[in-house]
Amino acid sequence: MYIIGENIHIISEKVKEALANRDREFFMDLAVRQVEAGAKAIDINLGPRKKDWAEVFPWIVETVESVVDVPLSIDTTNVDGMEAALQKITKAQPILNSTSAEPERLEKIPLLAKKYNAKVIALTMKTEGIPVEADARVNIAIETLIPRMMEIGFPMENLIIDPLVLTVSGCQQYCPHLIEAVRTLQYAWDPKPNISVGLSNVSNAVPNDNRPLINRVYLAMLMGVGLQMMIANPFDEKQNNVIRWVETKDTSNPLARLYNKIAERIGAGEEPQLEDFDLTDPEQSEIWKTTQILLNKVIYADSYLMN
Amino acid sequence: MPIEIPKDKWAGSIRAITIGATSAEGGTRSRCVTIGGETTMPYLHFEAPTPNKPVIAIEIKSRKPEDWSPLLMEVWGEAMTDPAQWAKKSEEAGADLIALGLTVEDTPDDAVRIVKSVLSATGLPLIVWGPGQAEKDNEVLVPVSEATKGEKLVLGICEDKNYRTIVATAMANGHLVQARAPMDVNLSKQLNILISDMGMPKERIIMDPTTGALGYGIEYGYSVMERLRLAALQGDAMTQYPMIVTPGFEAWKTKEAKVGEGVPEAWGDWKARAIHWETLTAIALVESGADIVVLRHPESVARVKDAIEELITA
Repeated sequence: MYIIGENIHIISEKVKEALANRDREFFMDLAVRQVEAGAKAIDINLGPRKKDWAEVFPWIVETVESVVDVPLSIDTTNVDGMEAALQKITKAQPILNSTSAEPERLEKIPLLAKKYNAKVIALTMKTEGIPVEADARVNIAIETLIPRMMEIGFPMENLIIDPLVLTVSGCQQYCPHLIEAVRTLQYAWDPKPNISVGLSNVSNAVPNDNRPLINRVYLAMLMGVGLQMMIANPFDEKQNNVIRWVETKDTSNPLARLYNKIAERIGAGEEPQLEDFDLTDPEQSEIWKTTQILLNKVIYADSYLMN
Repeated sequence: MPIEIPKDKWAGSIRAITIGATSAEGGTRSRCVTIGGETTMPYLHFEAPTPNKPVIAIEIKSRKPEDWSPLLMEVWGEAMTDPAQWAKKSEEAGADLIALGLTVEDTPDDAVRIVKSVLSATGLPLIVWGPGQAEKDNEVLVPVSEATKGEKLVLGICEDKNYRTIVATAMANGHLVQARAPMDVNLSKQLNILISDMGMPKERIIMDPTTGALGYGIEYGYSVMERLRLAALQGDAMTQYPMIVTPGFEAWKTKEAKVGEGVPEAWGDWKARAIHWETLTAIALVESGADIVVLRHPESVARVKDAIEELITA
């Protein structure tokens, strides 16, 4: 699993404060720890920085690159900020996060990526919004995103398609469709396009206690259909266990067996079955309930585990 | 060519719930009302009968409401100044239940006195709503609940911000609760879980998914009802409750129903339009699976009753 570490994100109060203080040590530490925890790239989302982008983007690139060698994912809607970051990068091939099928973004960002030999994450989203149906999202990739890349001679291996994870709390019907979109997108082009998702979006607006469980059950499902890249929290040890168990087909303990079974079922186009679970084990029982909300079988509620 | 109609067989069903207690059951009602019990989507008689037909509650207030439409003032007349009289007239108008709304002006003593007067004036089961402000609701509903122990009233309205006190007093005194969430399946289910978690028996919860009037969001309302019903039939225990909705309140808020002046002439006769608005809102919700519809105008009550009969016997 290629994890793009998500932790340098302006939504975090600590990140906000460290940025206000231009606290280099904070960002250096957070970058190093993410890489040590297994992140293969570092996402940097400091917002659009409308006023101070010319200073902030080069500053953060220089700060992070002073301690790690991995690719940086420049995560902003500010195109000028992206370019300022790109000009400063000296180490690995960067990632632009992101473009979409919205005309203005699709016009500018792939050209910028091409100019600086960056990879680009392209969201299957149009101006009208995000379609629910898996097919509609795949069609945006085939009919809009990929043709644009061909048009400008952008190397396909540098394109990463993100079919958009939405939260189970409020957009529950999208969750099973995203799994199918990940499955189908791999057959959408030859060579097979790179696919990445923002995993923790699945638990946006979910009470914090339940977020990691929802994230890792969804991850097992997505790995079942072939997901190999995601923006995620590399410090989540239980999530890292799931990655290791599923990648190595480790079935040496009941949970490892269960997560492998979930991945296998979803991979085969089946649903996890009650018989796969030992419901006398509270943890397995929680995982079962989580599969049911993620597959939109049971209506989500914040206290769904009490149901 | 013979056509085989495909039939769904569902794993789950809606709980049957009884409101009101006769003297045999420790109350004073002349009859009870049982709702729910459905085992399939509404009125698919070829799959399963509708075990309990939807019922109509007429909404009355503890004090004459100054902001109601003049059409309602006209039809209820003087009775609006006396909740007992109003309840009696509502029973005559064909109500299956009375929904009594208390107001912010009511002291706890007033509330108890008024609820008791309504219980004496009619033998119908009773729904009692607080004025709709958390603190005030708790202040009046607790003494009402205690003073009417065993009557199996429906107390409301429980919402996520304020449900604990109402649920606790309903549990202690043998009443039911109305659990309202703002047109959102996730929040409806969440509130049901929280109320059950307090220990409220499942046969004493009625869910209120909130609705909108015709032209004012009714389609959001019935979509939520459809989704809740489907989830219940699929076996989700926390959505297997009968539903109460308030089309009278919603319809009489609309300009089309509420006012007769300053509207386009093409809108036609005011009274006819207003009653159509309430009736059509209510019937659409009955068809979406409502078990209790709360109405305001007696003419609408008669029409919705006819529509229910047709649905049941069709």
